[in-house]
Amino acid sequence: MKCPIEKLSISKRLAIIAALMGIAALFIGNPVNKNKITVNAKELALTAIGNQDEISVMELAEWLIEGKADFTLVDLRDEKSFNEYSIPASVNIPIENLLDSDLMRNEKIILYGDDDIVSAQAWFILKSANYKSVYILKGGLNEWKEKILYPKLAENASSEEKAEFEKIKQISLHFGGAPQIVSGTTTSSVIQNVQTLSTPKITPPPASNLKSAPKKKREGC
Amino acid sequence: MMPYYKFDYFSFDFSLVVAFVIGIGFGFALERGGFGNARILAAQFYFYNMRVLKVMFTAIVTAMLGVFYLSWIGWLDMSLIYLTDTYIIPQIIGGLLLGIGFVIGGYCPGTSVVSASTGRYDGMVYLLGMFFGIFLFGEIFPLIENFYNSTPMGKVTLPQFLGLSHGLVVFLVVMMALGAFAAAEWSEKVMTKKLGREKE
Repeated sequence: MKCPIEKLSISKRLAIIAALMGIAALFIGNPVNKNKITVNAKELALTAIGNQDEISVMELAEWLIEGKADFTLVDLRDEKSFNEYSIPASVNIPIENLLDSDLMRNEKIILYGDDDIVSAQAWFILKSANYKSVYILKGGLNEWKEKILYPKLAENASSEEKAEFEKIKQISLHFGGAPQIVSGTTTSSVIQNVQTLSTPKITPPPASNLKSAPKKKREGC
Repeated sequence: MMPYYKFDYFSFDFSLVVAFVIGIGFGFALERGGFGNARILAAQFYFYNMRVLKVMFTAIVTAMLGVFYLSWIGWLDMSLIYLTDTYIIPQIIGGLLLGIGFVIGGYCPGTSVVSASTGRYDGMVYLLGMFFGIFLFGEIFPLIENFYNSTPMGKVTLPQFLGLSHGLVVFLVVMMALGAFAAAEWSEKVMTKKLGREKE
């Protein structure tokens, strides 16, 4: 005896498959909820414990000087603060716009805010939305200012520290910073034209050797 | 994870190669579907050959089920699929214009390219007309720009617009397609008899 399905033409069989898949879809409902995310908690925890996701300001400064361009530097602060000062070559994406941005899942992303808190939140959002390599600039912009723009050396520093400071000084000057030697309460500048620390005047340095904002991928028809 | 382009598995330059290959495949499928022939295409509008509706609705249902189930098993991130913005009134007018051109010329833009590349003169003339239309549109664009950008709805999908779940919309579209296929078979029979034509 022939099975009734065998009597049907190919297109009728396909129609039955489509109907069954349609009915199954009815029970699945929404395949993905964009705002609901699944997280591999263990993997995230391991990355966080290992500090593999942190970039120090010194590393970043060296990369920027070398003209490395294999990463996107994201400024998470609001537009106003971004326009006042931002690390060269960074793009401004306030944290609330993060998931709607043009960031690619496979690009290397380095996040910074004023401190670590907002970057950590953004790191978690991006990681859980399946962004592969997300890093936090350790200490954020505060540390960048402290270590790169206004590095300080105590007057009674050892010779090793002084040698180290010379290197930092060069980096600092590259970014338009003002290295200082601190003695007690008075501040003497290494560079003549620097004002007092209380009113730091930051002018963004020329970033000619740095890449501009990452090009947006074109799409659509 | 898909879409590959959004996940940066290939560059913009390579994406053009991918687009070329997909385009060739699309054209081939259209040609094999009989869409290089203006008679078959125009017959759609007289209801005695419903091949366009059947092929197109099959393609829509196949793609829709593919997207739905691939994202369900987690291979495709549906939120990353490119959507064009909706401007409802201008797009309705545009759709009507395309439909009128379709009835008159017997082709839609894609099928005219298929037809021209298989060496049909009417397809080539249609293609020229299309380029003239594009040129004209470009020239008068400043005059119609306000209208072009009117009634914006943003990137909107049917589940969002109707407030239904994706699955329900998938189910409804599948049922609509199956109903349309059955109706098409029926109308072909009736209209062929009525017009006294042989089925092409």
